[in-house]
Amino acid sequence: MPPWPRCSLMQWTLPSPQSEAAMEQCASVEREVDKVLQKFLTYGQHCEQSLEELLHHVGQLRAELASAALQGTPLSATLSLVMSQCCRKIKDTVQKLASDHKDIHSSVSRVGKAIDRNFDSEICGVVSDAVWDSREKQQQILQMAIVEHLYQQGMLSVAEELCQESTLNVDLDFKQPFLELNRILEALHEQDLGPALEWAVSHRQRLLELNSSLEFKLHRLHFIRLLAGGPEKQLEALSYARHFQPFARLHQREIQVMMGSLVYLRLGLEKSPYCHLLDNSHWAEICETFTRDACSLLGLSVESPLSVSFASGCVALPVLMNIKAVIEQRQCTGVWSHKDELPIEIELGMKCWYHSVFACPILRQQTSDSNPPIKLICGHVISRDALNKLINGGKLKCPYCPMEQNPADGKRIIF
Amino acid sequence: MAVQESAAQLSMTLKVQEYPTLKVPYETLNKRFRAAQKNIDRETSHVTMVVAELEKTLSSCPAVDSVVSLLDGVVEKLSVLKRKAVESIQAEDESAKLCKRRIEHLKEHSSDQPAAASMWKRKRMDRMMVEHLLRCGYYNTAVKLARQSGIEDLVNIEMFLTAKEVEESLERRETATCLAWCHDNKSRLRKMKDLLDPARWRMLIQQFRYDNYRLHQLGNNSVFTLTLQAGLSAIKTPQCYKEDGSSKSPDCPVCSRSLNKLAQPLPMAHCANSRLVCKISGDVMNENNPPMMLPNGYVYGYNSLLSIRQDDKVVCPRTKEVFHFSQAEKVYIM
Repeated sequence: MPPWPRCSLMQWTLPSPQSEAAMEQCASVEREVDKVLQKFLTYGQHCEQSLEELLHHVGQLRAELASAALQGTPLSATLSLVMSQCCRKIKDTVQKLASDHKDIHSSVSRVGKAIDRNFDSEICGVVSDAVWDSREKQQQILQMAIVEHLYQQGMLSVAEELCQESTLNVDLDFKQPFLELNRILEALHEQDLGPALEWAVSHRQRLLELNSSLEFKLHRLHFIRLLAGGPEKQLEALSYARHFQPFARLHQREIQVMMGSLVYLRLGLEKSPYCHLLDNSHWAEICETFTRDACSLLGLSVESPLSVSFASGCVALPVLMNIKAVIEQRQCTGVWSHKDELPIEIELGMKCWYHSVFACPILRQQTSDSNPPIKLICGHVISRDALNKLINGGKLKCPYCPMEQNPADGKRIIF
Repeated sequence: MAVQESAAQLSMTLKVQEYPTLKVPYETLNKRFRAAQKNIDRETSHVTMVVAELEKTLSSCPAVDSVVSLLDGVVEKLSVLKRKAVESIQAEDESAKLCKRRIEHLKEHSSDQPAAASMWKRKRMDRMMVEHLLRCGYYNTAVKLARQSGIEDLVNIEMFLTAKEVEESLERRETATCLAWCHDNKSRLRKMKDLLDPARWRMLIQQFRYDNYRLHQLGNNSVFTLTLQAGLSAIKTPQCYKEDGSSKSPDCPVCSRSLNKLAQPLPMAHCANSRLVCKISGDVMNENNPPMMLPNGYVYGYNSLLSIRQDDKVVCPRTKEVFHFSQAEKVYIM
């Protein structure tokens, strides 16, 4: 692969996508597909209708001939004429059907052309094709990463299937917490709140630190379910309401709403202003709340590392492919450095700043162990290479303030 | 979501990633259209032939019953034409509708509602993973994932399953299915009639797989793999690979166990501008949280130093040395 030249890249501006033009790519293909669908519809109706008519017509003729004592007699001239006309009509109709269908071909191929025009048929890698190709090892690690991701996303059966198909062995230690979570989630899907409540109570302290309202929500759902049971459940519901006591301060309003709904128990909640309590969405929501809180307790972010890396790739890929095309087009063979570094910065947003990066403002290079950042006496920070370059007659003048200082006074810092 | 993607960025990515999503159902549409045309042409010519026969008979003063029997023939051929035409149109309409469904799904990337947008992104990753798993040959996993994620319509499972059938039959030393595939796709595989040694069969399977991908314009690597590689590079920094592991970040994906190994041979991110992250809190160090250097050279955010200050002293989390809070000096990053 050609090395990435660095120096003159900054001069080139990447094409800035305009939102409307970009949306156009889908709309453009859709237009052609819609046309084809319309043509199929029209053609299909027309085809069926014409053939129906023909069959009807021929059927009538046949009935006429088969009736009365016409057998054995020669065909009358009139009938013969009618038959000839019928034959001509049949030939014309079916031949037209065939050629009408052929006419749709250009619309169909226009769909393909729209796709070719608006989407890139070739996708290329950032690195050489074979970088993960020591087939066994890296592919296995990738499979493992996918399995870990699936566990974290709560897709346990898929994860298990992958382990089986790829003959991967996952540490029981790693699996264990997910197995428990999944057990609880499956119970929740069956509207069984027991395991979840048990879990919430045993993790109460840490959940409170998280400001989680999971335990309350679980009690609330149980209460609502009792309400849905009708007037016979009233006593039980009232009795259950004591579970709300510890949450009285934080969730006062919600408790009031629920107690208020008791009034309508006899009439039926569905017809009351409290009908929203019976929404099924509460069940979906509790699963999400539980998953989120459980992941936090496990020290896992909601998004798995694989998710974040993939999303980052979605941003990086078009930018890198663009640059690669530009480089190849201009056949740039300028001085390059760091072929083990990407040729351009990828903006992912501040949430993706996981490590400190210090780029020397003078030499515009990332610092490293061999070229660390140095704090000058005035507090400004530059790389050691830059510092060495600035030494003049044993003294050093900071480029940002007129302070002259001794090079030896520079202090190595670690971020 | 951790990674910010603007609508414009999403569109650029669409252009680069989604060619197979649309082209594969299009190829099916094309194939079914041609099959439909062939069927209609064939049945039309049958009808025409039978009608021609009838016309010939008419010109020779026929008896009624011979005309009736010929008419029966015409009715039959017309019925067959009608049936085949309806079937064929249904088939091609179905593939056109699939194209439509996929493009409609792709359009949803620009949804205004954040819930819909993040659902779309989740599905995008699942779609690419399904394709990747199919390429690896993990068909059951792929099907399960597609079902669970609700994306069965949006991934090219059928194409890979057809390929799987062909491969399996080749492994059984049978060429029939493969030949049918060749005929279907007019590929250039050779007809094997003699017994071949295992190596030739292996090669044949590889060749088939390669040709199948090329036919559908799929490269050697899955879109998922290529995207992931780019993504890992964009996040990778030297700190992820420090020998003593002291600079690892609990939130950094590249610092996580599996991804750390995967990202090793990949290029690092290019950072033209400095950005500083406090090792204690993970927060950005800027004018709102200025970077402060302790006498041992380690830098932390001002806010973090405040939070770990006890009795006017701070303990450096990395070296455990104790300093006075006032010994922290501000550093200036341009």
